[in-house]
Amino acid sequence: MAKEKLLEVKDLKTYFFTEDGVVKAVDGVDFEVYKGETLGLVGESGCGKSVTAFSIMRLLDYPGKTVGGKVIFKGEDLLKKSEEEMRKIRGKEIAMIFQEPMTALNPVFTIGYQISEALKIHLHMNDKEAMEKSVELLKKVGIPIPEQRVHEYPHQLSGGMRQRAMIAMAMSCNPTLLIADEPTTALDVTIQAQILELMKSLLQEFNASLIMITHDLGVIAEIADRVAVMYAGKVVEYTDIRTIFHNPLHPYTFGLLTSIPRLDVELRRLNAIPGFVPDPLHFPKGCKFNPRCRFATDRCREEEPPLVKVEEGHLVRCWHVDRVKEEVKKGLLVGV
Amino acid sequence: MKRILKKLFSNVSSLVGIILLLFFVAIAIFAPIIAPPLSDDPYQVPRMSWDEDPQPPGFPMSDNMKEIYQYMGKKVKWTKAIFGTAQGGYDIFYGVIWGTRTAFKVGIITVVAAMLIGVFIGSVSAYFGGWLDETLMRITDIFLSFPFLVAAMVLTTILGRGLDKVMIALITFGWMGYARVIRGSILSAKEETYVMAAKALGVRDGRVIWRHLLPNTIFPVLVQASMNIGSMVVTAAALSFLGVGAPLGYADWGQMVSFARNWIIGKPGHAGQYWYTVFYPGLFIVLFVLAWNLIGDTLRDILDPRLRGEL
Amino acid sequence: MAKPLLQVRHLVKYFPIKKGVFRRTVGWVKAVDDVSFDVYEGETLGLVGESGCGKTTTALTILRLEEPTKGQVIFDGKDITKLKRRDMRKMRKGMQIIFQDPYSSLDPRMKVKDIIAEGMLSHNMLNGHERYKRVGELLERVGIPPKYMDRFPHEFSGGQRQRVGIARALALEPKIIMCDEAVSALDVSIRSQIINLLKDLQNEFKLTYLFIAHDLSVIKYISDRVAVMYLGKIVEIADKKSLFDEPLHPYTQALISAVPVPNPDYKKKRIVLQGDVPSPADPPKGCRFHPRCFKAMDICSNVEPKLVEVKPGHFVACHLYDSKE
Repeated sequence: MAKEKLLEVKDLKTYFFTEDGVVKAVDGVDFEVYKGETLGLVGESGCGKSVTAFSIMRLLDYPGKTVGGKVIFKGEDLLKKSEEEMRKIRGKEIAMIFQEPMTALNPVFTIGYQISEALKIHLHMNDKEAMEKSVELLKKVGIPIPEQRVHEYPHQLSGGMRQRAMIAMAMSCNPTLLIADEPTTALDVTIQAQILELMKSLLQEFNASLIMITHDLGVIAEIADRVAVMYAGKVVEYTDIRTIFHNPLHPYTFGLLTSIPRLDVELRRLNAIPGFVPDPLHFPKGCKFNPRCRFATDRCREEEPPLVKVEEGHLVRCWHVDRVKEEVKKGLLVGV
Repeated sequence: MKRILKKLFSNVSSLVGIILLLFFVAIAIFAPIIAPPLSDDPYQVPRMSWDEDPQPPGFPMSDNMKEIYQYMGKKVKWTKAIFGTAQGGYDIFYGVIWGTRTAFKVGIITVVAAMLIGVFIGSVSAYFGGWLDETLMRITDIFLSFPFLVAAMVLTTILGRGLDKVMIALITFGWMGYARVIRGSILSAKEETYVMAAKALGVRDGRVIWRHLLPNTIFPVLVQASMNIGSMVVTAAALSFLGVGAPLGYADWGQMVSFARNWIIGKPGHAGQYWYTVFYPGLFIVLFVLAWNLIGDTLRDILDPRLRGEL
Repeated sequence: MAKPLLQVRHLVKYFPIKKGVFRRTVGWVKAVDDVSFDVYEGETLGLVGESGCGKTTTALTILRLEEPTKGQVIFDGKDITKLKRRDMRKMRKGMQIIFQDPYSSLDPRMKVKDIIAEGMLSHNMLNGHERYKRVGELLERVGIPPKYMDRFPHEFSGGQRQRVGIARALALEPKIIMCDEAVSALDVSIRSQIINLLKDLQNEFKLTYLFIAHDLSVIKYISDRVAVMYLGKIVEIADKKSLFDEPLHPYTQALISAVPVPNPDYKKKRIVLQGDVPSPADPPKGCRFHPRCFKAMDICSNVEPKLVEVKPGHFVACHLYDSKE
């Protein structure tokens, strides 16, 4: 691949040291983000996808701590940077969009103030320039009458408008990498569609890369170029978007795809994954998915499989890739 | 529950509170042994002499008094006033020891009764809402508009002297805080889905309040109650001090302090001569209130959701 | 088709907006505004719409957990809006609800067995011992080992809590269960377990569901018929197939097209609606959807369209189909 590597996460480990024990929220995560592409980070609650994002941004508070690995951004390890250097990167080079824009925006400052703050810090603009730029940004993210909106407070905007304002804030300093943590989960479908369209067009315009964190496979299919599926603090499958949907090789990915109700195909019965998401304090031995996996053998219960390259550009963490492959061939995967 | 106990015992200030409280409980329980009563009514503070002036600690009982007790057929088991005597020869030691029982009685009965009334009014008001809420809350406001001490004093004066009258007065003007607190918490707990779920099941209103709302809202009230026990005792003491509380000679800390009223300064040239008349009852009151406040404080810290959020 | 078990007629629920010292009513939030539909015995009627469209309020008002402002709810041939408080309490046995949030819908201070037995206790079903035996059976049925009945809700995961909520509703042997976003708060892999469970229970106990959700994929999977709500009104109601294959109302069309499909090769024309849902306190005049509608005509901003049957069993409230009347 001739694409330029923008971010490389290597064996990232972030643990939470709680009263009840050590929670290995992120336990050896690897992936890359190339320039201009969108990487989808998929998983259920507690799988460590958000913690991964916060670790990259170095925004974790006690009791969370990144205990190992590397986050190489533009050739430099972010984990080795001083807090001062990190501050210059946050917001300017890497920006973040959160799930709940109401809590991510400060309720006591106007939208305009909050957008211009980053502009003043990172691009050294004066008040007037920053305000003009804010209006321009709000216009760009599709907020009507931006001249008026800059003077309004977050609570005066609707959920969709707030998320647009968040995006304007994130894009304000032309970041090269955007991390979006479930940006559309709290929104209605029609608003979600608006935001996804907006993000796609902005990414193209700014030629920025995106890490899209979500649990919604539909959103992933819509926006991502490549996907890393996470389960219990680890990446279990990592490949491009078409392969993940048409040729999944990890039982968890396969299970997810056959278990969700969908609009494009008529399903007789959902193929539910049994059991529940494991408690991060008591992960099972061996492969963390083994208690819920129908392919599990004694080996899975004893030994944790490594993330290995099965095909070019397709990494899977499973001992029984061949058996999953057979299932997929049988055509059990719908919508192919 | 285990967590609460653990916190209570791991925190220094609450530990002090608990030790103090246990100390008072022990005094109250063993009062008949620590200070054996000399008359039929153990709450009657025995007089050591007919002296109008207070007498210093270690003052022995006058012979005349001994004879009177013996004449009345009582065994005089002790003859020294360890803490001295108050005005009129009343034994301070006996007064503060038996006064501990009075303090517990006044504190707990008034607070429990006020809490029950407050919780009932507050929960009914919050649960049913509408005009009932309006009416009950306006009544609460009216009661709240009287200054507590003055109102209690006036009512005690009307009802007459006596500890029971003091308690009635304290209860009458002491329930509003509980009503307010429980109303607030029930108003927010009422919006919880499990309450709606219970209604959807067809659970009776009384049971919804009793089984679902109160168990989830009562803790702040209990915290308030534990801190209130101290202040109720102080108010009762204040009423006694002002002369509208316990009858003359009744073992009550406020009464003991009121005996000291004329002697606090001491005689000319002998400032603080009668320090013991104020010091011992005052010390008991202060420590008692402190004990409850320390415990209440810790309970509040434990139950404060902001502090509970720690992982 | 079977007979209607639940008939909702011109249901209206307004919430007062109070302001100022004297808490004067300055306006009304028109959460549910003249909604009518039938739910037939044994079917699942999906009620879909975006947040604030009034779908949850509709369910709560049907159950009289919120008192209706106007309108009738006829359940099993009886108008329950006229019942006294005490008679309504008895009526609740037949109509149950499963809530969205598996965390707040179970009393944190009650054991699971008491949570499930509470309804039976309130309706004097069975005696103490038999009641707990039944709790065990119910837990078993919803997929929780009965030995866990002495545990408290916080000892369970979200999916298991939702199973407890289902067992609580089932305990009263209801005829109809309102599932208010019953699977929305669950993780993807857990969601399908619960959906399957609900389907199995429906077959086993001949249950009728009013299934409320914002997720069209789930609605499409579980429903027999679907009603689409927008700003307190039903804009379209039809059997599932004709609703998803040939949506008539522009809003339904936009809604369906907006759902992301988990298939990167699935290409479709997306209708991206402009703007936000207006406030239900001040809904637009005429058709409530007209400010966002991509097919709006002059008439739409003045005259409110009626819900009419355009094809057999397919009702829509839109002026585009006026001519067929």
